[in-house]
Amino acid sequence: MSPARPPEAAASLRKDGTVEPPFRRVLVANRGEIALRIIRACRDLGMETVAVYSDADTDALHVRAADRAVRIGPAPAAESYLRADRIVEAALAEGADAVHPGYGFLAERAEFARAVEAAGIAFIGPTSDTIAALGDKLAARRLAAAASVPVVPGTLEPAAVSTPEELAAMLGRADEVGFPLLVKAAAGGGGRGMRRVERRDGLATALSAAAAEALSAFGDGTVYLEREIRPARHIEVQLLGAADGTVVALGERDCSVQRRHQKLVEESPAPGLSPDERRRLHALAVSIAAAARLTNAATAEFLFDTDRRFWFLEVNTRLQVEHGVTELVGDIDLVVEQFRVASGRPLSASVRAAAERAADPPRHAIEVRISAEDPAREFAAAPGQIGRWRMPEGPGVRIDAGVESGSRVSPDYDPLIAKVLVAASDRPAAVARLRRALAEVEVTGVQTTLPFLQFLAAHPAFEAASLSTEWVADHWDGPTDRHAALATAAAAAAEVFASGGAYAGAGVPAAPPRVAPTDAVPSEDGTVWRAAAREAGVDRWPR
Amino acid sequence: MKPATPPAANGTALRVTPTRRSALPGDESIVVDPGAAAGSGGRSGGRAVIGAVTRHRGRVVVEVVVGGWRFELDVEPERRAMLRDRGTMSAVERSPDGPLELRAIIPGRVASVAVAAGDEVDAGQELLVIEAMKMQNELRAPRQAAVARVAVVAGQTIELGELLVVLGSASETTAAADEP
Repeated sequence: MSPARPPEAAASLRKDGTVEPPFRRVLVANRGEIALRIIRACRDLGMETVAVYSDADTDALHVRAADRAVRIGPAPAAESYLRADRIVEAALAEGADAVHPGYGFLAERAEFARAVEAAGIAFIGPTSDTIAALGDKLAARRLAAAASVPVVPGTLEPAAVSTPEELAAMLGRADEVGFPLLVKAAAGGGGRGMRRVERRDGLATALSAAAAEALSAFGDGTVYLEREIRPARHIEVQLLGAADGTVVALGERDCSVQRRHQKLVEESPAPGLSPDERRRLHALAVSIAAAARLTNAATAEFLFDTDRRFWFLEVNTRLQVEHGVTELVGDIDLVVEQFRVASGRPLSASVRAAAERAADPPRHAIEVRISAEDPAREFAAAPGQIGRWRMPEGPGVRIDAGVESGSRVSPDYDPLIAKVLVAASDRPAAVARLRRALAEVEVTGVQTTLPFLQFLAAHPAFEAASLSTEWVADHWDGPTDRHAALATAAAAAAEVFASGGAYAGAGVPAAPPRVAPTDAVPSEDGTVWRAAAREAGVDRWPR
Repeated sequence: MKPATPPAANGTALRVTPTRRSALPGDESIVVDPGAAAGSGGRSGGRAVIGAVTRHRGRVVVEVVVGGWRFELDVEPERRAMLRDRGTMSAVERSPDGPLELRAIIPGRVASVAVAAGDEVDAGQELLVIEAMKMQNELRAPRQAAVARVAVVAGQTIELGELLVVLGSASETTAAADEP
């Protein structure tokens, strides 16, 4: 045993000198790339893993990666991955002493965290009370305002708008907030129950529509107002809190490139911020976390306006999809840290070091999301079966994928299939590396967001870090970009046909030919039709 | 779909058309000469990744991904495509003494059958309808005749060259109609 070991490690040393894992067996209540990501962290820590799966995921990668797997229901998420009762049951039956929810599904359902806690199992995330307190968007706004953090101007209490008096009162408040503004459902999320209002005369209609939508979607028709800050950048701060009350900010991520509130690209640090601005932003996030007595991992989201002001939006009480960029910049493993702090250990030395460097980080990282979506059809989901699957490799590249060749991308779940992350010493090098990495990607079988990502990585406005939440609408024309590729594709298809299926063009190794194309032309006398298998090249083409 | 470029003069030209489920509005057929196509055209850096190659009703469908865009492309010889464009639906097989055999020149599905063995048909009268490439193609009698035999039924999938209808004289009709 080395005397130089830090005290926190010594406290968990086994007799043989290895470090005691924070937990013995972890149930991963998720699927896809994040389930694999968590299973890897468990392996790194020497913990056993239990996967859960629906009927659509019987052969999924995360099921094979785990030590054990439990079926929890049919394909629809509402009957499987959202069944808190079945997941807690599975955790108890398999003897798990911790449950990691990942992101999405049950990750921010306070009642799930509560059920896990009540079963005597550690919930890997903030406590159920914190999730409940911060999951209420208005409560979070009030909490931030009370901690002297600037919140996006608007109302702070839920308001009903069913009577003429209530409506009139809202109109008065709207004038104070200013236009354009957003009407949001108090119980809402994901854009439902949300309306954008340009001018005062459109407000009454929008209020009624949003309230009705909110009532049917969430069983609660109350709404609130928020000024629309536009153009704006979306910048969020990674927070990590230990049981002893210490909370640190591990840098920020710029997630401005979005489409309909769906993030497409995330990077850290946020380009163009001075170390002072970063310190100020991180301090705002930490004061919200401290006020909420945050433990474990969470993310505080802010808008950054053109006057260089930060406005608090909300707190996500879970691991984010884009947590990897923070890991690359800070040289830390957030999932490992989540397990450590959940077992009562203090923040690790590497996390404290990353927090100290957060205002002036030594690296730049970018993540892009490869989703089974069609960027020529408004990013509509494009489920299917993956054919060829080749992800980039080499220095500074990390892939978090949830599929492989032959995997089915089910229409039942999120279309995200892989995240490509790159890191380099500075942003220009990271952007160049991103371009290089994306050029290595080869996916067949399903349409992916790759064309958009390649376009973005090569775009001067992205290179110049000119980012905003309007980026996609301002720059992207999917159908035109796609049409430009059609002629090249047609030439390649013709080569395949002419060479009998063995393609040899453009230096691309061909998939093994599965059929010999047939030609179908009349024979010389014109009386007999035949279908003959072509064996060789164009010189044998019948005339 | 009409080709976007004029058909190449030589017989090796291929017509490439996005399949219906992969096509977007504005997509057109492209006529490609495979010999000339090697190393030509396309936007710079447009590397092609070949995916599945499948035969579909005697035609070849090639999956190609260029710049991340995934296409399913139906490839066929331009000669054959032009033949189909002319609306030719059957080959009339004549033998000096025998009956007239009408065979399928494209694979597809029999949508409907308008005649039965023993019927007298006039030249130009509809015999049956074949659905192929999402189009209804009528097969019409090339001359006045008696239907000796109908070799297919509605709903049946037919291959290229498959016998559809036999036309003959009244005396031949009787003999042929006895076949099961």
